[in-house]
Amino acid sequence: MELKDKVKKVLIVDDDLDLLEQNKTLMESKGFTVITADSGKLGFEMFQKEKPDAAIVDLIMEEMDSGFVLCHKIKKTDHGKKIPVFMLTSATYETGFKFNSSTSEEKDWIKCDGFLNKPVVVEELLSKLENYFGL
Amino acid sequence: MLEIKPNILIVDDERGLRIGTQRLLEEEGYEVTTAENGYEGIALGTSCEFDAAIIDMKMPDIDGLDVLSAIKKVFPNTICIIATAFASYETAIEATRLGAFSYIPKPFTPDELIYQLKLAYKQRTLLKEAENLKKEREEQLLEIANEKSRLNTIIKSISDGVLVFNKEGKVVYYNSSAIKYLDLPGIQIGEYIPEKIPQQISKILNKYLNSENIIEKSYASQIELQPNGQLFIEAVCSPIKNPDKTLAGVVVVIRNITELKKVDLIKSQFVSMVAHELKTPMAAVQGFLNIMLDGQIPLTYEKQQEYLSRSVVRLKSLLDLVNDLLDISRMELKTKQREIVEIDIAEVIKSTLLILELDIQKKGITVVQNFSEKLPVIKTDMNEITRVITNILSNAIKYNTDKGEIKIVLTTAQNYLIIKISDTGIGMKPEELKNLFQEFFRAKNEKTRNISGTGLGLTIVKRIIESYNGKIEVDSQYGKGTTFTIFYPINT
Repeated sequence: MELKDKVKKVLIVDDDLDLLEQNKTLMESKGFTVITADSGKLGFEMFQKEKPDAAIVDLIMEEMDSGFVLCHKIKKTDHGKKIPVFMLTSATYETGFKFNSSTSEEKDWIKCDGFLNKPVVVEELLSKLENYFGL
Repeated sequence: MLEIKPNILIVDDERGLRIGTQRLLEEEGYEVTTAENGYEGIALGTSCEFDAAIIDMKMPDIDGLDVLSAIKKVFPNTICIIATAFASYETAIEATRLGAFSYIPKPFTPDELIYQLKLAYKQRTLLKEAENLKKEREEQLLEIANEKSRLNTIIKSISDGVLVFNKEGKVVYYNSSAIKYLDLPGIQIGEYIPEKIPQQISKILNKYLNSENIIEKSYASQIELQPNGQLFIEAVCSPIKNPDKTLAGVVVVIRNITELKKVDLIKSQFVSMVAHELKTPMAAVQGFLNIMLDGQIPLTYEKQQEYLSRSVVRLKSLLDLVNDLLDISRMELKTKQREIVEIDIAEVIKSTLLILELDIQKKGITVVQNFSEKLPVIKTDMNEITRVITNILSNAIKYNTDKGEIKIVLTTAQNYLIIKISDTGIGMKPEELKNLFQEFFRAKNEKTRNISGTGLGLTIVKRIIESYNGKIEVDSQYGKGTTFTIFYPINT
């Protein structure tokens, strides 16, 4: 079993259009189909319409919490529960944010399956996806 | 001859001896006063201090020993020599008991007398020296006592807390600030309080007290005494040494560093924000370059060109950001060289509009100028006022709608020049308005998506205006437009 059997279509949501373009290009070069959105609202619309196999959501979009809100909304749907959702962030401990999803409590609160640090290294994303599917 | 003329009193009822002795001593350089009986002797000997007195033992009125004790009572340092024809062992003892320095049997030879007087004078000098030393010592003791109470007053009045422990760890000294910071009301001198003081301090204290060899250095510890940084102290513990270099005790000086910590926090938050803001455009540029360098990703020439120009845009915004940061830092360090000149604000606005002409035309914006006549000149730095006007006008362009309008009104009121710049742009929501002058705040919504900026423009504007004792107000309606009003003091 390979990752490509599990994941064909990936949704990337980011309000930085440059980073969005880069991640799209990188994932496409690895053979994935990529759909993008540059806001939380649009991201959820695309999610419902396209039913992607994985989602990567930027933490800080137009509002401080829209990344969280979008994750929450996705994970509330039946389809969302079945797919990996990763949060993209450059907000780390050094920039004053103290959170991670290592404990079950935190996982319960932050509805995502993991964090990815900006700038994203595609290999890291792929290995996280593989881990998620137990490959 | 003697250098100083010692003062001698001769008390004797025999006239011949009195005068003979006087003459003899005066020739030797003494100053001599005589008394012809006991009462006169007492009167003279107690009225002023003589260096020495030669007192005849047997006089018709009173006994020479009475004269001796009377003089000694008033001037204990007057050296008294008893002269007597009835020399006996008992008289000698009695005379010495009463304070006579020696006695001389009558008749005496001049040499005997002079010898005795020389001894007497030596004794007198010693006595005087001893007295001076005693007086000096008393003065020093008094000085030390004064010094101690002065130091006490100083230590009691300083805002730093002082707490001293002896080598058993018992409190031996404290001031009220220490009690206040450590919340130790009712503490007693001699009390053992390791449980009552913060454990960081008692730990250091124990280190000193339990060490075999004396620890020479000081230790400082920063302690949060009240949660959320409400009270932060720094405790500096230092050893107090005995003259033989053993440990006498430990002094703890407590300083309130709450404000310092607050400034520290604000500073590190600012640094975090700056780091974040710098990282974002750099990550974007790096991302594009990595893709272009990656041989595995096929890119058309057009795509490559697009990525390069998008990188350039991000780098430009990065450069703008760095420049804004440098401006803010210069303002904070007050190293910005100001050149205060008289300027015509209408001229500044006109020339700024000229620079922004291209952007104004691109959006098809109309600029309406309404300047009242006879505007006062203001005294300011040309670069700074241009920066203020440029930042606000470029915002009015950036956040305006296509074919919108910018209205610039210049008036005066009381001691202020009023610059009012309104646009018909996208406006702000109340919650956005609230954070407007905050560093790095940028209204983020669908309408502002493609507008670039550093988030520092208005911070700089506000700082410049306030540094000239002016103020800036903002009024905005979401979807309708924003008005900035600057009140600039007119220098008379």
